Amino acid sequence: MTEPATSDAVFEREVLPELDAVYRFALRLARDPEQAEDLVQETFLKAYRNRTSYTPGTRARSWLFTICRNAFLRREERSRRHREIVAEAVQEDPARQSGEAAVFQAARERDPEGAFWSQVVDEEILRAIDELPDEFREAVVLSDLEDLSYNEIARVLSLPIGTVKSRLFRGRRILQKRLYEYALAEGIFDRPRSEASNDYEEGSR
Amino acid sequence: MSWVNELRRALDRIRGQAPADAEGIEGGISCEEAAERLYEWLDEELDPEMSERVGTHLEVCARCYPVLVFERSFREAVQRVAHADLAPQEVRDRILHQLASQGYEEGAPDDD
Repeated sequence: MTEPATSDAVFEREVLPELDAVYRFALRLARDPEQAEDLVQETFLKAYRNRTSYTPGTRARSWLFTICRNAFLRREERSRRHREIVAEAVQEDPARQSGEAAVFQAARERDPEGAFWSQVVDEEILRAIDELPDEFREAVVLSDLEDLSYNEIARVLSLPIGTVKSRLFRGRRILQKRLYEYALAEGIFDRPRSEASNDYEEGSR
Repeated sequence: MSWVNELRRALDRIRGQAPADAEGIEGGISCEEAAERLYEWLDEELDPEMSERVGTHLEVCARCYPVLVFERSFREAVQRVAHADLAPQEVRDRILHQLASQGYEEGAPDDD
């Protein structure tokens, strides 16, 4: 009798608990709850059928993310080529990059401790992540939200580690720019000043 | 690598505001090297020895510490949304149903 490397017990113990993580990853990839649900189902069905390719005791999460991302890319095949061209332009545009550096500097001058980050509401952070170009979004989500190592991210995205690092750097910078602009628009920087002052309550005018 | 240069430039600008006595070689590494490795350090990607050196530098260097604080606050804000979404129960049920049709047995005993 031959035994599969991954038994149902192992699947239940190591693979199924990643369902929420796979759903979140699918949601950030597809940015559409309905498509995310389909992707999660497809991922777990494929994972179960191919459970012999999972080595028990290794990280099920990155194995599942790879399956999920491949399923997503297959669905997106038609528009993919177009997006890659757009992405390339974003990556190579020096004006954009120096714009991001300038914003980083402006934000740091305005609020050296970055206290304003904590005042940005969760919805806005998720929206900003969802607006990142695909290749930066994937890297940021896998690292900052799903806690994968650079090695694991490199494997999921089939990229060299150096590219993972530079995508994380650019992705985080774009996110910082977006959230800093949001904080400016929302007047977050003016808030602490007015809260600290009691002049209004004293009625002194 | 362009991102390294970018961070370097950012640090150069900060340097203008740093006290004149800060030489920036704390931990035995330069500000440039610490800047290059800032994200790797935050992401816990460095080997223990390098992590120790970069960490020491970032914590005690007058020029680099503010950058660390800023980046750390940013990261905490982003990580706050990490568990914002859970898979809906219907999806979970549908998946289990689908797996069962493939022969999956819930609560199956471990192989011996």
